[in-house]
Amino acid sequence: MDASEVEFLAEKEMVKIIPNFSLDKVFLIGGDLGPFNPGLPIDVPVWLALNLKQRQKCRIIPPEWMDVEKLEEMRDLERKEDMFTPVPSPYYMELTKLLLNHASDNIPKADEIRTLVKDIWDTRIAKLRLSADSFISQQEAYAKLDNLTLMEINTIRAFLLDTLNCMYKLRSNLQ
Amino acid sequence: MFIADIRKDFYEVVANQRVVLLVAPDIDALCACKILQALFHCDQIQYTLVPVTGWQDLGTAFLEHKEQIKLLIKQDDDLSVPSYDDIFRDEDEEGEDSGNESDEGSEPSGKRRRFDEGAVERRIERQRAKREWEARRREILFDYEQYEYHGTSAAMMFFELAWVLTKDTKDMLWWAIIGLTDQWVHDKITNMKYVTDIATMQRHVSRHNHRNEDEENSLSIDCMRISFEYDLRLTLYQHWSLYESIYNSCYTSCSFKLWTLNGQKKLQEFLADMGLPLKQVRQKFNSMDMSIKENLRDVIEESSNKYGMKDIRIQTFGVHFGFKNRFLASDMVHATAALLESAEKDDSETDNFIKALDALSRSNIDRLHSGIELAKKKLIAIQQTVASCICTNLILSQGPFLYCYLMEGTPDVKLFSKPMALTLLCKYLLKAFVHSTRNKRCKLLPLVMAAPKDVEKGTVIVVGIPPESETSDKKNFFGRAFEKAAESTSSRTLHDHFDTSIIELKTEDRSKFLDALITLLS
Repeated sequence: MDASEVEFLAEKEMVKIIPNFSLDKVFLIGGDLGPFNPGLPIDVPVWLALNLKQRQKCRIIPPEWMDVEKLEEMRDLERKEDMFTPVPSPYYMELTKLLLNHASDNIPKADEIRTLVKDIWDTRIAKLRLSADSFISQQEAYAKLDNLTLMEINTIRAFLLDTLNCMYKLRSNLQ
Repeated sequence: MFIADIRKDFYEVVANQRVVLLVAPDIDALCACKILQALFHCDQIQYTLVPVTGWQDLGTAFLEHKEQIKLLIKQDDDLSVPSYDDIFRDEDEEGEDSGNESDEGSEPSGKRRRFDEGAVERRIERQRAKREWEARRREILFDYEQYEYHGTSAAMMFFELAWVLTKDTKDMLWWAIIGLTDQWVHDKITNMKYVTDIATMQRHVSRHNHRNEDEENSLSIDCMRISFEYDLRLTLYQHWSLYESIYNSCYTSCSFKLWTLNGQKKLQEFLADMGLPLKQVRQKFNSMDMSIKENLRDVIEESSNKYGMKDIRIQTFGVHFGFKNRFLASDMVHATAALLESAEKDDSETDNFIKALDALSRSNIDRLHSGIELAKKKLIAIQQTVASCICTNLILSQGPFLYCYLMEGTPDVKLFSKPMALTLLCKYLLKAFVHSTRNKRCKLLPLVMAAPKDVEKGTVIVVGIPPESETSDKKNFFGRAFEKAAESTSSRTLHDHFDTSIIELKTEDRSKFLDALITLLS
């Protein structure tokens, strides 16, 4: 899987917007999108929210977890724990990137949020690396990791699988 | 096309159709094009973009798209059009109770003795008014065809459209500002108009700045911030070294007369007077000491007042996004103009157009920086050419105007085969000449300049600009003059540019064309 594919999947998540146009209910394959009324908040998938934002037809409201204090708590919790802590959203990294790139004027304290999310990501990836390292060096056969997101799994997948394949080849050559 | 309400008569008509956008090759048109493109993207209107370089191009493009066209949008700097009412008046003014202005003026004189006499008087009044109106109309039309000058920036007009549709963004505002600054940099509008338009833009800028910004929730550093600056008139000084900028800016170079040794000494004195060490001043501006940079503008203003440069500061706008990117509007104009007219061999006109258009978006900073480098080279070339022309007395007075011809071997002459660059050179040259000559009469003459355009085809490009004066209204009569001179001598000319004071001429016909022009204007 490619990082861009993961981002594509992330765009299905719902986010709240405030449109400035009105439109009747739209019937799409993936589901119905309710009637749009100017000034009334409505939940739409991220892909639609970004499209409307770029056409200046809506204002995006940041999700609840995208808040400086909450993210600071999460970051501190992450740093304390050895295991992975529950994430604010299964696609937190992609959503942060998408929303902050296209709608940073609707998100207060965007720079701090970007830094905090990056901190959380770095801590988790470091833990993942450590865990993979110990997995290989102790030649375990089974590992269980909770609370990993698809993006993090995707980051390490190619490397881990290749490494394991190489090690298998080396070991089978020895024998 | 005359439009009263831009939203109803223009945008709503266009909104459901495919549109062909024919754009002239100058910065104002480019900015207007960007604004219009952004509006079209918002409403998902399909459009085709065709850059045109002159009337012939316009004709070919029109013929190509003829089957699909119902309405064309062509942008160029608005050649000013007198108000609708002055020229076309509804013909049903003959009725007794028509509310004629001069008629109303005569009513209060109170001579309402009897209805008949009143009616006769009114008819006479009206006839007199009509004759006056006809005379005024003839005068206005004569002016309109005789002179050429520029009206409001097209980019600003489209920004007003966007504002009326409440779809205006900071990007569009910035493009409108660049369009306006282009008119000022290339000397197309008067100072008064520039200041008035700046005030209009300033209102929009403050409106946008207050929209999102709070004490608590300040915007991300990546958001675009436009600010009003009362900044120095030194071209590109923030992207160059201060010394180079002072040396190559028209205003300072002409005031100091930097083509003479004396002038250069004066420049050194000026720098010393401000207490700026030469080493600092020759460094890139961003690497200068902070202590010097802080009060730079005030310090320079004080010193330049002593040296007779009263207008070293000009009202303009600057943009600021990200940590590194700060640009003034005039920087962008010079960069984009340099990209648009880059004289590289393997770039076609359309490529240059697309590159220049790209440089205006925020996501193509590299393009913009390469444009700035090209602009620096262009300014240096202009400065050197001006210096050599003045020192070798290449400017000759032909009676009613001054004339200068750039020989083929002149360095950077390829740069000046393009109309905008040549016009810029022309204006700098005239300013420099006015500062350097002692002949009082010559100071009031206009300038005609010729430079080789295409060596294989043997053509030269000729540009005429009005005389340099404090209160000039920037009206250029050379368009008609060139046409008449060409007719009378049957020279082979091409009056293709949208700007009629720029023409192409066969090199062999140069002398007879000039003679005809002299007789015409004297």
